[in-house]
Amino acid sequence: MKQAIELIINGETHDLIVTPNVTLQEAIREQIGLKGTKAGCEMGTCGACTVLLGDKPILSCITLAVECQGKEITTIEGLSEGPTLSNMQKAFVRAGAVQCGFCTPGVILSGTALLKKNPQPNVSDIKKALEGNLCRCTGYNSIIEAVLDASDPSAPQQDQEKKL
Amino acid sequence: MNALKLVGKSLPRIDGPDKTTGKARYTVDVDLPGMLVCGIKRSPHPHARILHIDTSKAQKLPGVKAVITGIDTKGIKHGFVETPRYPPDQSILAVDVVRHVGEEVAAVAAINHEILAQALKMIEIEYEILPAVFDVEDAMSSDCQVHIHPNHPRVKENYCNIAGKTQTQWGDIDAGFKEADLIHSDRFESHLRTHGYMEPQTAVADYNGDGTLHMWISSMGHFGKRRKLAKTLGMKDASIRIHKAYVGGAFGGKIDLFSHEYCVAALSIKTGRPVKYVASREEIFIAYRHGQPLISEIKTGVKKDGTIVAQQLRMINNAGAYKGSGVVVIFLAWGFTMIPYRVENFKYEGYSIFTNNPTRAPLRGHGAPQVRFAIESHMDIIAEKLQLDPIEFRLKNARVPHEELPNKDNVHNCGLIDCIKEAAFKTDYTNRRNLRPKTDKPGDSSPIKHGIGLGVSAYFGGSLIYPNGSSAIVKMTDDGSVDLLTGAIELGQGSETVLCQIVGEELQLEMDDIRIISSDTATTPPDIGAWISGMTYVTGNAVREAAAGVRKKIMQVAAEQLNEKTENLKLANKSVWVAEHPEKRITYRDIFQASISRHKGDTIISDGHWRTMRDEPFHPSLASTKGRWTENYAFSVQVAEIAVDTETGEIKLLKATTVHDCGFPVNPQLVQGQIDGQVSLALGHAFMEDVMMKKGYTLNPSWLDYRMPLIHNVADSKGVEVITESYRPGHSFRTKEVGEGLVSAILAGIANAIYDATGLRLYSTPFSPEKVLKGLKRLKKNRGLL
Repeated sequence: MKQAIELIINGETHDLIVTPNVTLQEAIREQIGLKGTKAGCEMGTCGACTVLLGDKPILSCITLAVECQGKEITTIEGLSEGPTLSNMQKAFVRAGAVQCGFCTPGVILSGTALLKKNPQPNVSDIKKALEGNLCRCTGYNSIIEAVLDASDPSAPQQDQEKKL
Repeated sequence: MNALKLVGKSLPRIDGPDKTTGKARYTVDVDLPGMLVCGIKRSPHPHARILHIDTSKAQKLPGVKAVITGIDTKGIKHGFVETPRYPPDQSILAVDVVRHVGEEVAAVAAINHEILAQALKMIEIEYEILPAVFDVEDAMSSDCQVHIHPNHPRVKENYCNIAGKTQTQWGDIDAGFKEADLIHSDRFESHLRTHGYMEPQTAVADYNGDGTLHMWISSMGHFGKRRKLAKTLGMKDASIRIHKAYVGGAFGGKIDLFSHEYCVAALSIKTGRPVKYVASREEIFIAYRHGQPLISEIKTGVKKDGTIVAQQLRMINNAGAYKGSGVVVIFLAWGFTMIPYRVENFKYEGYSIFTNNPTRAPLRGHGAPQVRFAIESHMDIIAEKLQLDPIEFRLKNARVPHEELPNKDNVHNCGLIDCIKEAAFKTDYTNRRNLRPKTDKPGDSSPIKHGIGLGVSAYFGGSLIYPNGSSAIVKMTDDGSVDLLTGAIELGQGSETVLCQIVGEELQLEMDDIRIISSDTATTPPDIGAWISGMTYVTGNAVREAAAGVRKKIMQVAAEQLNEKTENLKLANKSVWVAEHPEKRITYRDIFQASISRHKGDTIISDGHWRTMRDEPFHPSLASTKGRWTENYAFSVQVAEIAVDTETGEIKLLKATTVHDCGFPVNPQLVQGQIDGQVSLALGHAFMEDVMMKKGYTLNPSWLDYRMPLIHNVADSKGVEVITESYRPGHSFRTKEVGEGLVSAILAGIANAIYDATGLRLYSTPFSPEKVLKGLKRLKKNRGLL
């Protein structure tokens, strides 16, 4: 039985008709057309599909779209303001924490959720927050550096603005 | 090094903003109007004869638009290697026999995934189950009753299921062993590991009315893919256009032509609609290609002073059901053996053996991790037997600069000796090793034992494999900025950033003055691809030549306009001026206009091209190793510092120090990223990852059960460069491999560190807790402590 639902994605309301078995990841990618949310395994094992439900990172590939009726969801496309990257996004570019980039949206959203809860995390907080995100390229070293960098109020983020 | 503007700088990746904002488009993101979804019907059996295929029910299902089986294909076979000795052996869709679980038998295009799943179930295939063989030594045994393919006609030994053989020798092996004071033999085994690329295998095809087949493929080199697609589809190369898309990781697993790529193309041609295929993660684990397991038998003769006088090796590769890269890995295993150390008398035999397992692929290092794990463990064992310092033992036999290798290649400015010395110095290796025989320090009751271990490796770069070379085009625009057209494919390594740095250096431009148009077979020139470890060297030099051509035209026009000789001119900030009279200046913008008006409309475009071994016709013989291989050898030494929990058997890699000769880094941050990623891959392969197979079935086909490193497993990774080459604008350069050779020595280092920490010598990967505990128990028993 199809259902009408309303998803508030990055502050914009989308009205969708979905069957109950449609995942949030499918709704975001296939119906709404935001492709930044990636599907690496579609079984909840890799974290590439991470989005924020409210302030909480969730795996959109094992979340049903109908469960999110009326909820506010942030995808990777919702972090930057126009052409200006968020501090976390800039830190990832600066630290070289991006290689193939397929895990990057999910990792950045997990990191963003962490900083909302804990603006000054230590390395072990970062590891705990990002433990659900697989990255095969970077070995995670530069990812840790990037999240630390994004959380450091003295980091030279303003200087980089023009370049990025 | 001269003062350089862009080369040698850790500039941020140019694809960084798109990849961090979700804008970067991958093949899996391509959606076209009216697009159908494709699914593959796969064999459930490891070895069976196809008696009958009935697709009629599936075809009648509403929403199914086309079904194809082997008889609908052109019947043209393909293979990773396609040479007279090793002709192609794979069908796109199996016709008579399936030889591994997951082999492709039929493909369906449907309007949605539900109908697709139903249709795949409705395809009825009657099989006669055949006996199957999985273990490599069972398969090669002369009394094996299972014959997966006929034996290779030119390999006459009394073995079965031989896919291929590599053999070579030099010096006098018997005389060499007679000279030796110690002869020692070991046998090592490596296990089945997989790539773990994050973006699944995927392809999209869209056949247009004008006869052009548009494709998007998660690939490692579009020109190689296009060649094989054109051949198997019976189409002109130029009728197939593979478009640019970012690639979400590959690590060797996306090189060859895959059945699904042909199937989406054929189904799009048949239906006239776009067709997309995305493999499930489970399919990737069950049916797609993993790495190459290798058995290494090594016998080495050494003099008391540590001189290696003879070495004999026998490598056995479990290739799976088709040759795949199995006949290449037995060639490469020879190469990875002979590069780092001088051995005057040498004999090598490598066998690739068919089994009823899925076909295998290169995996970051393509044999080097397996070979270097074996040899570097063997080196430490010998050093201990002869009571030699392992550093001195390696230094004694290490290649020196400008040494000629047995295949007539030259190591040029080889930095191996400096790498060994630097690695020992940086890690205080000699002082920190636990001396043997190890006895627990009095009062040391901690179950955690620390150890340090070292390995040496070397890697080739940019060898001759189709299309053997790269070309590039640089063209100026009105405002003096430029477009770079290159076939190079960005799969995470940073090719686009590095190539723009080179163009910018030659033309003294800022990074944002350069637009790169890449990996589109219709608009960019051919490229060697990101799978032969030569992109920075081969494509980089092609790009540099193209930029140099533009620079030459700029200078020529400027000289005419300023009425001055070119040697008196300076170039920077998108303008050219007379060195002695800086006020006599012309901008690139004006040069562009002047070139058009004074040079018959020349808008300042130039091309460049490069290949390794430019005087060699072809790659070396896979069978005999004869022929030049590369002019570009990279060297590395890696040191592992580990902690072994002797109660749980778990090992943690605490620190990896990578000292390497990559020539020089064009972008040090990107190089460090390659090092970190390879260290992580190695620790996964060492401690965590294992594709467990039983009778051809994968038992752990998900990332829950195939455990790749998480952020908790991160190791401290330090990279140290030994600079042996330099970049001079206007000249060719020699960068060396850095993207896949650094999985090897660290794996070997970990094995040697385990011995250092515990006295346990492991002869097979992975170094799982189970194996470690069992080994420690055996040691205790031998010492009479149990």
